[in-house]
Amino acid sequence: MGQAYSTIAFDPSACDGCGECMKACARVKFDSADVSRSLIQIVKSGDGADMRPGTPGEFELALCRQCGDPKCVTVCPAAALTKNGSTGVIDWDPAKCVDCLLCTLGCSYAGISLDAEVGRVSKCDTCDGNPACVPACPHGALRYVTTSRIYNEVGDWEDLFAPGLAGCQGCNTELLMRHALRRVGPDTVLATPPGCVPGMGSVGFNGTTGTKVPVFHPLLTNTASMLAGIKRQYKRVGRDITAMAIAGDGGASDVGFQSLSGAAERGEQILFLVIDNEGYMNTGMQRSSCTPFGAWTSTTPVGEHGQGKTQDAKNLPLIMVNHRCEYVATASTAFMEDLYDKLDKAIAASKRGFAYLHVYSPCTTGWRFPGDRNIEVARKAVETNFVLLWEYTQNRGLRFTRPVNDPAPVTEYLKTMARFKHLSEAQIDHIQRKVEENLRFVKRMAEMADAE
Amino acid sequence: MSERHHRYPTFDLKVANVPDDLCPVATELSPMMPGDWRSFRPVVDRDKCVKCAVCWLYCPVQCVEEHAAWFDFNLDTCKGCGICATECPQRAIVMIPEVK
Repeated sequence: MGQAYSTIAFDPSACDGCGECMKACARVKFDSADVSRSLIQIVKSGDGADMRPGTPGEFELALCRQCGDPKCVTVCPAAALTKNGSTGVIDWDPAKCVDCLLCTLGCSYAGISLDAEVGRVSKCDTCDGNPACVPACPHGALRYVTTSRIYNEVGDWEDLFAPGLAGCQGCNTELLMRHALRRVGPDTVLATPPGCVPGMGSVGFNGTTGTKVPVFHPLLTNTASMLAGIKRQYKRVGRDITAMAIAGDGGASDVGFQSLSGAAERGEQILFLVIDNEGYMNTGMQRSSCTPFGAWTSTTPVGEHGQGKTQDAKNLPLIMVNHRCEYVATASTAFMEDLYDKLDKAIAASKRGFAYLHVYSPCTTGWRFPGDRNIEVARKAVETNFVLLWEYTQNRGLRFTRPVNDPAPVTEYLKTMARFKHLSEAQIDHIQRKVEENLRFVKRMAEMADAE
Repeated sequence: MSERHHRYPTFDLKVANVPDDLCPVATELSPMMPGDWRSFRPVVDRDKCVKCAVCWLYCPVQCVEEHAAWFDFNLDTCKGCGICATECPQRAIVMIPEVK
């Protein structure tokens, strides 16, 4: 396997050309107030002459992208530019450079240019993995994407599901279960109660299997108890396995809650992963107790009499905290680094007691949004505080892992999908109030834990 | 089919010494390939790819494969959902219609 690298991402729709990134770069790199020396340049679309701040969407980025196949390196006659295999940065060696400036013509992104002050070329080196421009941006138009570290760690690990599963196009559940089972590893016994997970073929079709570890298909009602028995038998014969369940929110919060609660109370050594797509999506999008207020489902229809679900969602992860489990956490696939940290902790905790991981998983079919928007919907849920990311252990109590201090209004999330498009002002107000109330409630628990 | 999908052997009844009259146990992997569902296909601009692995991270079928200087897709399993194209931080991926 090769290597993946961190990258600086630019969102032109958020940039208003204020130039803070350039000021930060010139200051950090050259101790100068002259933004023309900055290695990152924001230019107005068109001739670039008018540099006054303006409307987002009008600006473009000139910055070394640290290309995978860098043209500046190809054209350099003196081998002064090289792609660094471990950091991904294109390194410039001033001792070898003959100042021919061919590289500035080779690059089509204006990523390397002449620094008139010293008469030599200069280019971005990402500040050794901590770029000064990114935190300087007040609009969040620059992001330093570091998720490549996950690829570098687990990218060549075995995907423990069959290559072909029948999840919908853009299925978040399929994404999540492939990541999770690969992380947990081959010494695992997997239980998947009725729902999308076995429905898409993880238990196989026509006498074949969809999973490369032992997998079984319990009833909705007995997942946790059946898995507890299997784990105990493996312990009896002296074999260390991870007993893992991948269940939907219906299979955990409604039908399977009794056995889940029992196993958690007994402290069975299980890793219980709940994929919360807020309904019974596999059987035709019926409402569950995790479906949020106002949402359209096939059993909470929208029409002359009904306007979506009339009750609020049950907060299952908080109920699991009240079981004093070994580990409880909520996660989202839009924040993979956070999710991977929690997976690691949950795997370790499942060797000592009950580990419960609740992952919010947007459903392209049931929530009615285009499949390619899946991660965006998951991200908006967190950015509006509709979904809170936290973890709980008995020693530390509850703590936020990714607090959102400046949340967007919940409408930013609601408008991404059609299951909420009928909402009245009153319903939206209700949802916003609930989001704030839920935040206050969980915050109190976190503050209590901090105080101890 | 990519190499990494076949590194571990699947469960072998004889090796595990499981009686074959106990209950049916599936030992062969499902051969279903969802690549023919696609109506759009991801195409990578190799000059724009910086190998950040975001496409791999968010690909639900995990069909992203690494090449020397770019990431590409296994079209046997790619369902054409377009998450990679939407999430690519360098906008190096476009979805083009599958036409005969």
